[in-house]
Parts: sequence; structure tokens; C-alpha cells
Amino acid sequence: MGGKSFLQRGGTRFAAVLAFTAALAAALFLAGCQSVPVDPHGTLDRVSDGVMRVGASPNGEWVSLPPGGEPEGREADLVRDFAGKLNARIEWTTGTEYVLAEGIKHGELDLMIAGLNDKTPWEKHSGLTRGYTESTDERGTRHKHVMLIRQGENAFLLELDKFLMEAMTSK
Amino acid sequence: MKAASTSSGEDRSPGRIPARFGHTELPEEQHAALRKAKKFEWITIAFLTVSTAMIYLVLGNSQAVKAAWVEDVLSLLPPFSFLIAARVIRKQPSEEHPYGFHRAVGIAHVVASIALVVMGAYLIVDSGLGLVTGEHPTIGGFDFFGQTIWLGWIMIGAMLLTAGPPVYLGHVKMKLAKTLHDKVLYADAAMNKADWMTALAAAVGVAGIGIGWWWTDAVAALVISASILHDGVRNTRAAITALMDKHARTYDDSEPHPVGGQIDEYLEGLDWVETAKSRIRDEGHVFHVESFVVPAGQVMPTLERLEAARKACIDMDWKVQDMVIIPVSQLPSEYLPGIPSSGGER
Repeated sequence: MGGKSFLQRGGTRFAAVLAFTAALAAALFLAGCQSVPVDPHGTLDRVSDGVMRVGASPNGEWVSLPPGGEPEGREADLVRDFAGKLNARIEWTTGTEYVLAEGIKHGELDLMIAGLNDKTPWEKHSGLTRGYTESTDERGTRHKHVMLIRQGENAFLLELDKFLMEAMTSK
Repeated sequence: MKAASTSSGEDRSPGRIPARFGHTELPEEQHAALRKAKKFEWITIAFLTVSTAMIYLVLGNSQAVKAAWVEDVLSLLPPFSFLIAARVIRKQPSEEHPYGFHRAVGIAHVVASIALVVMGAYLIVDSGLGLVTGEHPTIGGFDFFGQTIWLGWIMIGAMLLTAGPPVYLGHVKMKLAKTLHDKVLYADAAMNKADWMTALAAAVGVAGIGIGWWWTDAVAALVISASILHDGVRNTRAAITALMDKHARTYDDSEPHPVGGQIDEYLEGLDWVETAKSRIRDEGHVFHVESFVVPAGQVMPTLERLEAARKACIDMDWKVQDMVIIPVSQLPSEYLPGIPSSGGER
């Protein structure tokens, strides 16, 4: 217990030195890495110049599914622009939110659009973009709109967040 | 002015308003320490308010940063406990509360440490679940003055920025805790001093996420929660044993308080005393002392001698004020466990 013991006094100084070294090493290591953050499952690398698997569930002006055609709507257009930026081909999957969210959870989809807001219950097993735009529903409630990605794919998410930010400011 | 407990009429000299803990008028050194401690607790509260608000804005999905944030919020409790207790214990003992209000400190200590135990345990379960279920923390972009940068950088920055000041505050308060014999202040200072480790652990956790090691975050969170729980258990134990009237110990609980030995030594040195032994409990800042003395030759000492001995003991240490001397024919082993049985009594 007490702050008087030799161990604790000596220990604090030792721990401080150790921590400083560790922090320094970490900083060097991070600087050495070309890009931070890194995707644990390498989504961004795989998608760039490759295939981006996108799930779309219809929801008003955000996502609509014309029969026999590709998904349309504000979010579908945004995703097409994003894919174009990464030189990726889109592989669309359509279905209910639940089916798509399961796909995201198990890594079968890279991205999901469904006119979702940041209160979405699917958040538990996925990652959210920043609210890239806001809307107000007929009850006067404001919604921050987000897209869903596979949990923890932070490089891909950062790329998408950057894209959405630019897309919104350039409008 | 020290031996002023003979009557209830406390006629203090006007002019300077004395700082007190109940009956006990604080010596100048303690008075200054108390003022400084109050000032530093307010500084701590101000710092923590700003830093927790700042970190809340960048909380993100890192469990480690969340744990560090919870710890920062919880470290608001001891300063508040201290400030409230410092107010309550100024009250004079009354007919209803003949022992005064010193225990307020102990109660504040228990409350603050139980909060640590509960939150520490909760965070261990929460972080452990995250690790077991393989939850990958998701941290995306942050709008930094029109530029989208990785939120993780901001989190690391915030953690490192808030790591330093508490260490300084802790060092200052630790010295004051010793002067004031204040265990809440001690617990608070110990927590502050260790705060940089929490902040660093959280920063390392986030840096780990950055390089694609999702688990570093949960591991860092576990380390932080364990340290919160450890603080909590340690403090709860100290607080409860103090309330249970454990023999008075030093402010950091490392050893029995030396004043007990000094009193016994002084009393035994008096020529009318054969043996003396005291039991002492810690009321918060001040002690209650009951000294049993066996007069030499079994001759009852005069009242003057008893009062002079009591005054001398009270003058030894400002914490000794509430003291009684009980002349006995032999030291009562039922009240003084551990003394060599003088044989026979029961």
C-alpha cells in the first residue's frame, strides 16, 4: 500500500522511463508506416482497382431499386462516384436492411446504403461513416445520414469519410 | 490555547478567524496546507471538467479512450468529497454529536472508493466482452478545420495532452495529504499521480488500432479498468478499516502512526507512572486517544499531575486533542489487545 515503499518510488521512475521509450518507439513505428490507419482485413487495398461489394436497401430518395436496373438515388450516386475515385467495380447486392447488415457483420459486403441515420441499430456489428448530411422528417426530427461499413476497416472508412466530406462541400 | 477543552465556553481571541477541524484549531502549517489543498482541489475540478468535456467530443469507438474518460470523470469524486468534507468537519461538536463531525471524511472516502470499484468492475466486463467477441473498433474521419483527418490522431493527441497536468497536481496534493493527515486527499493524489499511465495506455490502444491491431484497444481498456478497480479496492479497504476504528495509521496507511508510541513513552517517563499504554483511533484528521496509566505504587495521582500530563500529550501533535487519561490498577487487556497479560484479572 503506501507511497513510501521503495518499490513504488523506484517503480514510478522506472515506469516513466519505460513508458517514454515505448511512446517513442510507437511514434517511430507509426511514422514508418506509410498510412495510418490500416484495415485489419485490408478492405481498401482489395477494393482499389478491384471489386467493391455494396449492399443497397430501398429507402425513399436515398436508395431506390428500379426493376431490372442498378440501384439509384442520392446514396447510390455517391457510392458510384466513390467507386470511380478508387477505380473499383461495384458488385451490387439488394435486400432488406437485416439481410444486408448480416452481410456487413460477416464481411460479405464492404459497404451498405439504406438511407440510414446515425441512430441505426445495426451499429453494433458495423462501422458508421460520419453523418455526411442532415435531413428533417415530417415530425421535425433531424437525422444525420450515414453509410455502413464492415466494423474496424478504418482505412476504408477514412477514405469514404474524406470522399463524402468533399462531395458535400463541393456541392 | 491548546488545552482548551476544559469547558464548553470556547472563548477564542478575536481577530484572525482560526481554521479548525471541529474543536481542533489548526496550527499555522496545517492551516496553510488546508487552504492550498482547497485551491488545488478546485484547480483539479476545473482541469478535469475541461479535459473530460474535450475528450467527450472525440470519444469515438475506442473502448480504451472510453475507459480513460470514465476514470477522469470518476476522479472528480475525491476532490468534491474533500471539499464537502472540509466544510462539514469545521462544525463544532454538539450535544447531539459529542465526537464532532470528523467521520465525514471517512464517509466521503467510502463513497468515492465504492464508485471506483463499481465502474472498474463494469469496465472490465465491458472491455473483456469486446475482446472475446472480437469487436473491431471503428474509427473514421474527423472534420478538423475543413480537413478530414483520422479521428485516432485527435484521440491520441487529446490523451497525451491531458496526461501531464494531473501528475503535477497529484504531487502537490500528496505533500498536503501528509501535512493534513487526510486520506481522501491522499487517495485523490495517488489517483492523479497514476493518471498518466491511463492516458498513455489509451493512446497506445488507439495507436494499435491505427496500425490495424484491433485488439490493442480492448487490451488497453482492460489495463485501465483493472487500475480503476485496483484503486477502488485499495481505497475501500483503507476507508472501511478506518471507519472500523483500526489502530491509527499514517496518512498513507503504511505504518502505525508514531504519535501513539510517543505518548506512551512520555507517560511512562513521568515519575508517577509505572506503565502506560494507549489505544488510538483515527476520526478522519484527528485522533481519539485513550491512555491507560498505572500509577507508581498504586497511588492515585493528583488532578494537577493528570491535567499536566494530558496537556503535554496534546501539545505533541495537533491531531491529538480529544484525549483522556485513565488511571488503572493494571493495564486492562480487554481494551488493549496484544499487551502481555499481566496475569490474573480474568
